[in-house]
Amino acid sequence: MQGDHSRQLTCPHCGPTFASFEALKDHMLTHHRGVGLPTAESRITVNVNGSNHTPRVEPDWTLYHLIHDRLGLTGTKQFCDRGACGSCTVIMNGKPVLSCMTLAIECDGAKIETAEGISDAGHPLIEYYVKHHAMQCGYCTPGFVVTSKALLDRNPDPTEEDIKQALAGNLCRCGTYPQHVIAVREVAKDLQANKE
Amino acid sequence: MKSFTHFDAHSIGEAVSLLDRYNGKAAVIAGGTDLLGKMKDRALPEYPEALINIKTIPGLDAIGEGDGMLRIGALATLDEVANHPVVQEKYPALAQAAGRVGSPQLRNMGTIAGNICQDIRCWYYRAPNNRFSCLRKGGGRCYALKGDNRFHSIFGGSVEGGCIAVHPSDTAPALIALGAEIVTSQRTIEMEEFINVGVRNTTVLEGHEIVTEIRVPEPSAGAKSAFLKYALRRSIDFPIVNCAASIARENAKVTRARICLNAVHVVPRRAIEAERALIGKTIDETSAEEAGQATVSDASPLKDNAYMVQTARILVKRTVLACRELEQGASATAR
Repeated sequence: MQGDHSRQLTCPHCGPTFASFEALKDHMLTHHRGVGLPTAESRITVNVNGSNHTPRVEPDWTLYHLIHDRLGLTGTKQFCDRGACGSCTVIMNGKPVLSCMTLAIECDGAKIETAEGISDAGHPLIEYYVKHHAMQCGYCTPGFVVTSKALLDRNPDPTEEDIKQALAGNLCRCGTYPQHVIAVREVAKDLQANKE
Repeated sequence: MKSFTHFDAHSIGEAVSLLDRYNGKAAVIAGGTDLLGKMKDRALPEYPEALINIKTIPGLDAIGEGDGMLRIGALATLDEVANHPVVQEKYPALAQAAGRVGSPQLRNMGTIAGNICQDIRCWYYRAPNNRFSCLRKGGGRCYALKGDNRFHSIFGGSVEGGCIAVHPSDTAPALIALGAEIVTSQRTIEMEEFINVGVRNTTVLEGHEIVTEIRVPEPSAGAKSAFLKYALRRSIDFPIVNCAASIARENAKVTRARICLNAVHVVPRRAIEAERALIGKTIDETSAEEAGQATVSDASPLKDNAYMVQTARILVKRTVLACRELEQGASATAR
């Protein structure tokens, strides 16, 4: 979704168009010094799975692009790229959100968890997803795991209905839905037992 | 996505001034779940040169009561609205409506103001690469009139253009039934007059105007509200028909009723006939059925959407009955 930088840019203050950001920047510095520059790319700070990153991001990068293509965390999957399937779900500041519909440039200061972080932390979700084989082709699975982790963080003892509600934004074309409820219920029991 | 310039606005004034300077070539982004889809598809003839992020404006996401009304900041997410205890207790139609939008992830991202300002979902309008230059884009004709119009208006098109794309918001009918007002950067607008049909435009907002707050008057004692949505799927789906009702009763007789449907017309549709039919009656199967009938008495379905007339009739009936059930302490089951 990136790469097309051929469009014209308009000066927000007086109107003329420029072929490149650099040309616009020169115009802004000459004519509108001190008014505030449009951003082309900017450096953000994000905490992904506990480690801080300070990448330079283009305005049109989605959070998915940053995580998957730039940071190389390929557990986050893109399928519909329109916010309608849940495959690209990540936990941002404690809440599951769709990384394909989030602009990376707007994530400065965010704390993000992906399937890799959940796995590396030894979360029992992975073990029980394997045990109950809550997957077939496996493409949607990281999205389900991430959404389930956010649910368990918020509600350590979810009912079947709670789980169905929380996972209602994740689609599985293979139809593994019943297994997710079984797996998440067992994870909840496991976590409760280990706490006591 | 094609490239664009990105601004973080730090005050409403800054956002308005940026919109003004870009003169129609910039778009406001909050949750982004509607806007980014359009940009990725390049659905519209023009692509924004700049996005102005208003999530960085402090204090626009509060939900609270004051001066006899509920005040919801424009940036409050749909999840926050749906799960707020005051909204759930006193404004159930709004809590239920916000809770039925999209999916849990979308409700964590999308805002209440974004939900009422969202663009239409007509598949000709939204077709990738601006494939159909339809009336709503300033083009020559409505492609849905002769095309596949199974999800289009059953109450005719817009007055001037003839566009038959329905408005897809779930929270808009609830806000209209509850008599809400929309506060913007320059004025206050009745929610009922907020949604509009124009070329590339679904609201009465001017080019440099931003919604800042939504105000809902506190319901009178004895008033109950409810919201029901019918969609093909229980989640991640737009409504086929949705309906919100707010009904006040004295001695079991209806004294005031506001019923609003959405996704059946180019703008949310008050069911005035149904409201009249209910006044002075008790809420029961018969009166609710009459209200449903009155709602669709002037429906004029297209070739593919006659089923929506039936859906609208039944949904009004169930929503009216849900207002009764709520008073008896039972919770309405949305479907």
